[in-house]
Amino acid sequence: MLRFLVRRFLGAIVILFLLSIVTFLLFFGMPRDPGLLMCGKTCNPTSLANIHHVLGLDKPITTQYWIFLKNLVMGSNGFAQGPCPAPCFGYSYHTNDQVWATLIDRLPTTISLTLGGAFFFLLIGLGTGLLAAWKRGTLIDKTATAGAMVLSSMQIYFLGPLALALLVYQTHLFDKPAYNNFTANPVSWFSGLIIPWVVLSTIFAAQYTRMARSAMIEQLQEEHVRTAKAKGMSRRYVFFRYAWRGSLIPIVTIFGIDLGALLGGAIITEYTFSLPGLGNLAVQAVFFSDLPLLLGVMIFSATMILLFNIIVDACYAFIDPRVRLA
Amino acid sequence: MSRGGRHVYAALSVLAAGALVLTGCSKGGSDASDNNKQDKENAARQQKSIKFGDAADSTGPAPAVPGAKSGGSIEVLQRDSYAHLDPAQIYVSDEGSLATLLHRGLTGYKTTTADGKGHEVVGDLATDSGTTTDGGKTWKYTLKDGIKFADGTPITSADFRQTFERLFASYINQGPTYIQQWLADTAGADYRKLLPDGPYKGKHLPSTVLETPDAKTVIFHFKTAHADLPYALAMAGYAVVSAKGDTQVKYDKNPVTSGPYKIQSFKSGKSMVLVKNTNWDPKTDPIRHQYVDQFNFTFNQQFETSTKALLADSGADQTGISFNNQVDAGNLSSVLKDPKMKSRTVSGYQPYVGQMNINNSHPAMKDKLVREAIAYALPITPFLRAFGGTDAMEVAGGTISPTVSGYNAAFDPFGKKKNPAGDPVKAKALLKKAGKLNMKLTFGYTNTPEGQQYSTAMAAGLKKAGFNVQRQEIPAETYYDQVSKLDNNYDIFHTAWGADWPSASTVVPPLYDGRVIADGAQNYSQVNDPKVNADIDAANKITDPVKAAAAWEKIDEYLVKDLVSFVPTAYYKQTQIAGSKVGGLVYDDVLGGVDPRRLFVK
Repeated sequence: MLRFLVRRFLGAIVILFLLSIVTFLLFFGMPRDPGLLMCGKTCNPTSLANIHHVLGLDKPITTQYWIFLKNLVMGSNGFAQGPCPAPCFGYSYHTNDQVWATLIDRLPTTISLTLGGAFFFLLIGLGTGLLAAWKRGTLIDKTATAGAMVLSSMQIYFLGPLALALLVYQTHLFDKPAYNNFTANPVSWFSGLIIPWVVLSTIFAAQYTRMARSAMIEQLQEEHVRTAKAKGMSRRYVFFRYAWRGSLIPIVTIFGIDLGALLGGAIITEYTFSLPGLGNLAVQAVFFSDLPLLLGVMIFSATMILLFNIIVDACYAFIDPRVRLA
Repeated sequence: MSRGGRHVYAALSVLAAGALVLTGCSKGGSDASDNNKQDKENAARQQKSIKFGDAADSTGPAPAVPGAKSGGSIEVLQRDSYAHLDPAQIYVSDEGSLATLLHRGLTGYKTTTADGKGHEVVGDLATDSGTTTDGGKTWKYTLKDGIKFADGTPITSADFRQTFERLFASYINQGPTYIQQWLADTAGADYRKLLPDGPYKGKHLPSTVLETPDAKTVIFHFKTAHADLPYALAMAGYAVVSAKGDTQVKYDKNPVTSGPYKIQSFKSGKSMVLVKNTNWDPKTDPIRHQYVDQFNFTFNQQFETSTKALLADSGADQTGISFNNQVDAGNLSSVLKDPKMKSRTVSGYQPYVGQMNINNSHPAMKDKLVREAIAYALPITPFLRAFGGTDAMEVAGGTISPTVSGYNAAFDPFGKKKNPAGDPVKAKALLKKAGKLNMKLTFGYTNTPEGQQYSTAMAAGLKKAGFNVQRQEIPAETYYDQVSKLDNNYDIFHTAWGADWPSASTVVPPLYDGRVIADGAQNYSQVNDPKVNADIDAANKITDPVKAAAAWEKIDEYLVKDLVSFVPTAYYKQTQIAGSKVGGLVYDDVLGGVDPRRLFVK
């Protein structure tokens, strides 16, 4: 296991390194000059050159990249805005905020959205999927399957505004979505996120319903499950003791990927509900050609995805004894 | 209002557009004659009433807002977080609105009517709007008694020396540059050579440029007359900075304020809380009020989100407002048609004026008949329709906005106000006369939903007149970067520009002076006409504001009618909404939005 983890972590570092190079190159490949965004009304070549110098954009790309890596690992005291301890992604071009501090500041919003959403979509998705498999061929199964089909074709940018209009602005049944610090006021935290969770879980749950149902049905056809049934074990025992465990592998795989992606920033969800998380930050970084912030968000998001992939792989061994990681 | 802001405006229009896409909203015109009439009356009154006030006009406190009472909190829903809090870095209208609560300068705009519509430039921290004895070359300001920063430190002339000297330092690059250029008597960014390191390495501006003979006196010495100085000093970018508290780059995050409020907390991109500045003395301030105990800002609120929340008018949103978000295009018509909702709105002109630039550097565009054909053929209706109809836009005759002195409502050389759909027949005749029927015309447009919509209909109108229109999409986030390149291949493209103060001296020179043509500069049409250049120089020397306004309007009319260098399209307007418990709601034509200084909780 240890060997597996070391190997995967080293692989992840290589991927992150390559990703940072690609992001750097893509940024400079864009037909856009971040200096122009900061150049004020009476922009002219001298002002622009001054801004390039202040931002360090007048240095060769390789030098800029080397400085970025050095600062990331060792930190830097060379910024006019103040010290930048490792991991130092520098200061935002647009807001002059320290990028790492900004990422950490936005993380609780994204974590809250992700974990709450995941709780709901797992609960609803798996529950409905298992029920459909249990009641295969019945009206319940058909309703769940059709419902999942319809909901999986929905998009957040449709359901989100619809939920806001119906549940918040017209009927006032729920609070307007907002992120409030959990430690400061758990009730406000919950009430501010319930609508985003519901919308997120509605869309994701459909996918898990379909997957849980098909994986369960497939497992129920397996020889070891049929053998267990033939040996006289109860349907409930076989369902949960054998079939359920076997059906978890594809679900865990997808869940790990979804969780990593959501923790990296649920861009549309955060945008729709005006939540100040990593997804909104990513949008801001792109629109303002903010290289330090862009790199910070990209690497942070990629780290989350890679981390959860490793966790998923590690989980296989626990779920299915046949899997040997090393 | 701001060049930088315009870039941001272009970039963020994608976000706004996204909000529109979510609801699939877009609409045609609506019956808005009452609103239009009121907007015009307000604008006319405002541009006529602006004068430079004396000591009596500059004495505080500000006249009480009818019905106002103190206390309570106001929730402010903003789309964009504030990138800058250091006054020297403030140019865009969002931060300009915020600055009215936080920062004070030597001069400012005082409202002169109970509805907050009339204005005059008065002394803010200074005793009057400035005195000059030599036609605008030397300006003297005397500071009021009892003025303090939020930390309790008295404001002296040393703070103003610091304020103006630090503008020359290289890290200040986002704010206005008028006064730096005037002090250095130069154009472009060469002004920095006067004090390359700002005041931070022991050097200072000589007394022949900036004089502070005692703690209460500030004297500006210019080599050429600048009659607009009181206007320029009223910009947030020239508000006072504490010499003691100047932390240079870090000041942008935590400035020492001088206005009625100070920053209790600011989480960039998330929230901000303003609380009362107890060291602000209303007796020294003829402009601002301090009715509200606290302003709570929430960012990332798209136009549609803030509109729906404020329309719903429940809970904290009853005391909600947005300083800069508009009523989104999808809801605008229904809001204005409902008297109950309309009573919670304010509307007026934004500083922006749109124009279809004709790229005068392209050989095919050098033929005046071709340019005239474009001007007659171009339909303006699609542009208005794309942005929400006549509630959000008004057909423009020239590039001088209704809120700027010198505006001529009757000027409409191509009959656009009467016939915004264009005149393809006349245009075709002109094109035929030029022998250019079916000539290729490359139309660069921004790929926002609005851009897609209006460019398609405009291209159809131009095609009717005999142009072979080739539309070329430009990503919204790089739009202004692309069209401001000298070597671009677009024959026509749309831009918008706003005045920095109610004088066309901040419109005509940057847009049409042929000597400032450069990559990234704002003479997008690349107009370089000797008469225009000479007239700009002459107008800049006029110290009488009325005569100057007439001179600028004359240049504008020459550019539009005689040179046909571009086609004016629309004056931008906006409607804003507040919760039912927000009082003191007025639209300020100078700010181009709701006036935060007069707000109170009912």
